[in-house]
Amino acid sequence: MIKRIDPDLPGRFGNLELLARQVVEGFITGMHKSPFHGFSVEFAEHRIYNPGESTRHIDWKLYARTEKLFVKRFEEETNLRCQIVVDNSSSMHFQGRDRDGKDYSKIAFSVECAAALTYLLRKQRDAVGLSVISDQMELHTAARSNSVHHRMLFTQLEKLYHPDKEEERKTTDTAELLHLLAEKVHKRSLVIIFSDMLDNEGNPGSLFSALQHLKHNKHEVILFHVHEQEKELEFDYGNRPYRFVDMETGRMIRLNPADLKEKYVRQMKKYYEEMRLKCMQYKIDFVPAGINQGYENVLLSFLLKRSKLY
Amino acid sequence: MALEITDSNFEETVLKADKPVLLDFWAEWCGPCRMVGPIVAEIAEEYKDKAVVGKVDVDSNPEVAMKYGIRNIPTILFFKGGEVVDKQVGAVPKNVLVDKIESLL
Repeated sequence: MIKRIDPDLPGRFGNLELLARQVVEGFITGMHKSPFHGFSVEFAEHRIYNPGESTRHIDWKLYARTEKLFVKRFEEETNLRCQIVVDNSSSMHFQGRDRDGKDYSKIAFSVECAAALTYLLRKQRDAVGLSVISDQMELHTAARSNSVHHRMLFTQLEKLYHPDKEEERKTTDTAELLHLLAEKVHKRSLVIIFSDMLDNEGNPGSLFSALQHLKHNKHEVILFHVHEQEKELEFDYGNRPYRFVDMETGRMIRLNPADLKEKYVRQMKKYYEEMRLKCMQYKIDFVPAGINQGYENVLLSFLLKRSKLY
Repeated sequence: MALEITDSNFEETVLKADKPVLLDFWAEWCGPCRMVGPIVAEIAEEYKDKAVVGKVDVDSNPEVAMKYGIRNIPTILFFKGGEVVDKQVGAVPKNVLVDKIESLL
């Protein structure tokens, strides 16, 4: 079980990479078994040498010992291209609480997960790219596997983790940006999306068609639905009037949560259920990632997908 | 432990078996075979009541290997009712083999 690492720690050192390493190493040690088994470059089998074939791969040591002519065959090296997409709209900056009751936002959780995945991918020598979306494409880097590129990704993630100034209100145009990404990203990539999916409620159809577009371009997609359980899904506020402010548009509304709670919870449930079913239909992994549930879910889903791909 | 299958006991143990059979073709000098060996032994232990798990040393039992055209080792053949129903060439993780044997039970 991984506990959330004290957010002050990386803050003090300004090193998200350190945090990512702790998360991944802790996770792997916790599993007691290497998750990498089965997809590295491995000597897999001996095959009888056919006369006329190139002599390059003959196992000469074996020939010297036994006078048998066999060639060595290796498992193909697998190269994964992975594009991590982080939603940086204002709603992602909603402050919830982590397991220890400290302030914790959805964006912080997403960035920590993205950093952990980047670290994991680097260890496997897979190529990784990062896209940050809000009302526009804030950042898009193609997937690469060299260390300079990885360092750059960590720097970018850190910028998201410690925004310089109070963010202005940003809406999200997930559907359109996902369409754009589907075309931009190299075909047959693994696309990992971290988003609260809170921007297309009026029109879920366009979001579904964007997800379908990703699948159509032969991408594998994991959609992490980053959410805050207590306030966002269960609408758990005290029984007194509150002033609610839309983080993306700034619109304000005064109401008593108790009057609305039942309807709100029902609507939310319906929306996410629809999303889950659609994703199932398109063969997209829809993974609920509660910010106070820790990283296990996220890392496990990724590793499971990774082992299924090859 | 997996059963030692030879040219002489092959028919009796494999073809006439009333349970599904997993047969691992291997050789002493083959590195990948030694990786698969312990996995096959584990499966033999776990499925001892449900399946027959055997090993054929291709050096000392050329007849069986020839009969099934074994050119790559390790090769794992799956039999049911005396017929080959599935084949796995090369070293693979345990779950691949377990999935295959499960589908035959």
